[in-house]
Amino acid sequence: MSDTANPILPGAVPVPLEDVERELSRQLKAPRDDKREVVQLVRMSNLVIYCDTVEAARQVGAQVPDVVAVHPARVLLLVGDNGTSATTIHAAVRVQGHKLGEHQQACSEQVVLSAGAGITDRLPFAVRSLLIGDLPTNLWWASPQPPPLAGSLLYDLAEHAQQIMYDSLGWPDPAHGVAATATWLESVERFHDADRWRVASDLNWRRLKYWRRLVAQALEPVDVATITEVAVGHGPHAVVQAWELLSWLATRVRWQVQAGKVQPGVEMAWRFLAPQGDVRFRIRRTEQGPPEIKGMRIRCMVDDKPVTLDLISESAGKLVIRLEGTAAEPRTILSPDLSLAEVIGKQLSDRERDPVFRESMQVAQAMAKSLLA
Amino acid sequence: MPLPTPPGVAKSLLPQPCVLVIFGGDGDLSWRKLLPAVYNLNKDGDLPSHFAVVGFGLPSTKEGEGVDPDEYIRQRARDGIERFSRQALDDAHWADFARSLFYVPGSFGDARAYQQLKNKLAAVDGQFGIPGSRIYYFAVPPQLVEACVKHLGESGMVNDPKDQVAFTRCVVEKPIGRDLDSAREVIRIVDQAFAENQTYRIDHYLGKETVQNLLVLRFANSIFEPLWNAKYIDHVQITVAEEEGLAQFDSETGKITASRIGYFEGIGGLRDMVQNHMLQVLCMCAMEPPHSLDADVIRDAKANVLHCLRRMTPAEVKQNVVRGQYIEGDVNGQRVPGYRNEVRRFFEEVAKKPIPAESVNSSTETFVAIRLFIDNWRWSNVPFYLRTGKRLPKRASEVAIQFKDVPQVLFNANPDVPLEPTVLTLKVQPEEGMSMRIASKLPGPKVRIYPVKMEFSYASFGATSPEAYERLILDVMAGDATLFMRRDGVVAAWEYIMPILDSWTHERALHLPEYQCGTWGPVEADRLIQEDGRQWRTL
Repeated sequence: MSDTANPILPGAVPVPLEDVERELSRQLKAPRDDKREVVQLVRMSNLVIYCDTVEAARQVGAQVPDVVAVHPARVLLLVGDNGTSATTIHAAVRVQGHKLGEHQQACSEQVVLSAGAGITDRLPFAVRSLLIGDLPTNLWWASPQPPPLAGSLLYDLAEHAQQIMYDSLGWPDPAHGVAATATWLESVERFHDADRWRVASDLNWRRLKYWRRLVAQALEPVDVATITEVAVGHGPHAVVQAWELLSWLATRVRWQVQAGKVQPGVEMAWRFLAPQGDVRFRIRRTEQGPPEIKGMRIRCMVDDKPVTLDLISESAGKLVIRLEGTAAEPRTILSPDLSLAEVIGKQLSDRERDPVFRESMQVAQAMAKSLLA
Repeated sequence: MPLPTPPGVAKSLLPQPCVLVIFGGDGDLSWRKLLPAVYNLNKDGDLPSHFAVVGFGLPSTKEGEGVDPDEYIRQRARDGIERFSRQALDDAHWADFARSLFYVPGSFGDARAYQQLKNKLAAVDGQFGIPGSRIYYFAVPPQLVEACVKHLGESGMVNDPKDQVAFTRCVVEKPIGRDLDSAREVIRIVDQAFAENQTYRIDHYLGKETVQNLLVLRFANSIFEPLWNAKYIDHVQITVAEEEGLAQFDSETGKITASRIGYFEGIGGLRDMVQNHMLQVLCMCAMEPPHSLDADVIRDAKANVLHCLRRMTPAEVKQNVVRGQYIEGDVNGQRVPGYRNEVRRFFEEVAKKPIPAESVNSSTETFVAIRLFIDNWRWSNVPFYLRTGKRLPKRASEVAIQFKDVPQVLFNANPDVPLEPTVLTLKVQPEEGMSMRIASKLPGPKVRIYPVKMEFSYASFGATSPEAYERLILDVMAGDATLFMRRDGVVAAWEYIMPILDSWTHERALHLPEYQCGTWGPVEADRLIQEDGRQWRTL
């Protein structure tokens, strides 16, 4: 019995919730086409993914095979509103293999749990019964709702999680989301018992890795006390990414935000207090393009001459630094163009708490509050 | 004369020809467990060549009225085997097995019924060439055991314990009493007709492969026993989690389809699970190495653990024991009622009239968590955390040995993200096996440590493991009491439990800590372990 029409995980077999483990076991033991093949169940962690809708879950579900190829896990893909008024949670199960070698196959367990809109709060109960003990649990909050504003559902789902991954890309109300994040990070990562810990990670922060490296390299010959203006351009939905880049820079140079203003959908601007005086920060959105940072311009002095550092995402996988007003050759660094699945896969294995991220989010919070004041 | 056994080798005892007499032969335990277990033993060729089963008691179902008793028990057995047997019913084996099934209807308090039973057993002996050996299995409520024992003794149906030709043994099911005094009374009652070496107090948990494997793991491998002490072990967690509540309901009509409330209400999880199963498992985990595999040597070692359990004062009970009761919640995607609601509906069905919800104020605990200590050299100040409950998120029982953390240097230098400790887990159910969590470097240029879990499942041996009852029934036939509770062990377990029960009695709490069905117990239980800087394991 195979429900190839399952919109989220094609081939997943619908089963009553109490039969999920049995069905996983059955599928794992089912005969394979290649009788010589050694089939191995692999799982490094529990990966709980929450999506608000079937459409969102379908998009995430398409990434799951690539995620588990990088980081084998038992995947529990939750759908908060499956568009029905069902009073029970529906489960569908798939054991998916991928080749490890000529006669070796690694299998991963994937379960979809979907709830009607009225019973979303019952999903955490289903999750508890399906977690595998002794393996780390990761929660991927794949909802556009910022985690700090998500309410009790996220807290219940994160009950046993050691890592909460979220993506600030496309947050519908960035200022409120960013304003709440630093405080939320503090609360969600704090435990009273020494044996327990949890980290929260923003996928956008991971995406910024190469941008941060680029900015650090670009500023190497620059006296930061000469910077007067920093502007970031970004595509649709990438405002928080740009924001995190600026807050990171402000953290590094230890400037204090003084005031901010927003032109909805177009631009955000702040005034920072630096030793040399006021520094203007701006984030400007472009109408078209991919949801990522397009470029950054930094006005400063090099060798007592005013210059503009122009940092550009020139093409896929390539970031360029140009020093306008000088004859210097452009410098480039490679920035691997990671798919969402690769970003997730890397983040799953990286459980270090990044103090720079937390500091940056505190500055970002101050920036948000200045806009909301 | 038995074949000599080389020194150090476990005695291999063979099941001896006998009749298994099941008191309450058509009852629930017999139907679900005992008859399917005997069938599986038959199918696997483990039964003695001369063997039969005789059920005894008043028929408990309508089907048993006005029909041939032997045909009745055969139908009942077939039904139980088809539903609950580990191995599917095979018609060829069934025909062979059914021939050896008999039933004697009669009341446990009626002396004439015992005469009929005696006559039937004599006839069965003749038919199957059995030398008069008997196993009396009391699959009846505890209050009926006394009548059974008394009449068996008076009817001359219990042979001398030294009889080499025809043995008589009895199997007593838990609960052995509901407190220390009543446990002593049950022991005294059985003692009136049966000697200690004829008495097999069964705890089916001890028949599980993993529990038996605890001894093999510890004493047949060189790497574990040197670490099995306070120097290397941080703490031990023993969990018996059950998904089911005390009542099951028809999803269509909402009516109760099965219930253990009649037994459980007023008994609670401490008596039902901790006093027997969990303390027995604790003993296997914590006992000193026995000098032989002789039943009494092992039972001595287990009893020593019970004697070393640190007794609690009422104030210490409050600090170290948490009880709880489930309230409405969610299990398997379905809304399920709380315990008090189940109790109310159960008694409404019994009384056949409505009972106001506010009049049901049961304080029976459906969840217990205990922090206990074994005051001996090996386990000095190592906490053992025991946790059992109904309506938890999943059915899972395990013993987890958590080793001490590595020093906070090298790979464990980051206090924000400490390494997960090494844990050895023995899984008792649903799937028996063991696993070990260790730290490993992830592939790649950076040194990143990640926990990995090495697993062994009994299923990997290929054949399905025998049910616990199969192993234990076979042991009774063979006269091997290793996995059965000796009277001093039962008493010592009650002596440990009594201060807790007494404390609760005096406390008279009407409202216990509550937990939602489908969660891992009340928050008070989390605090119990968190105040030690530890946490309950995710199962």
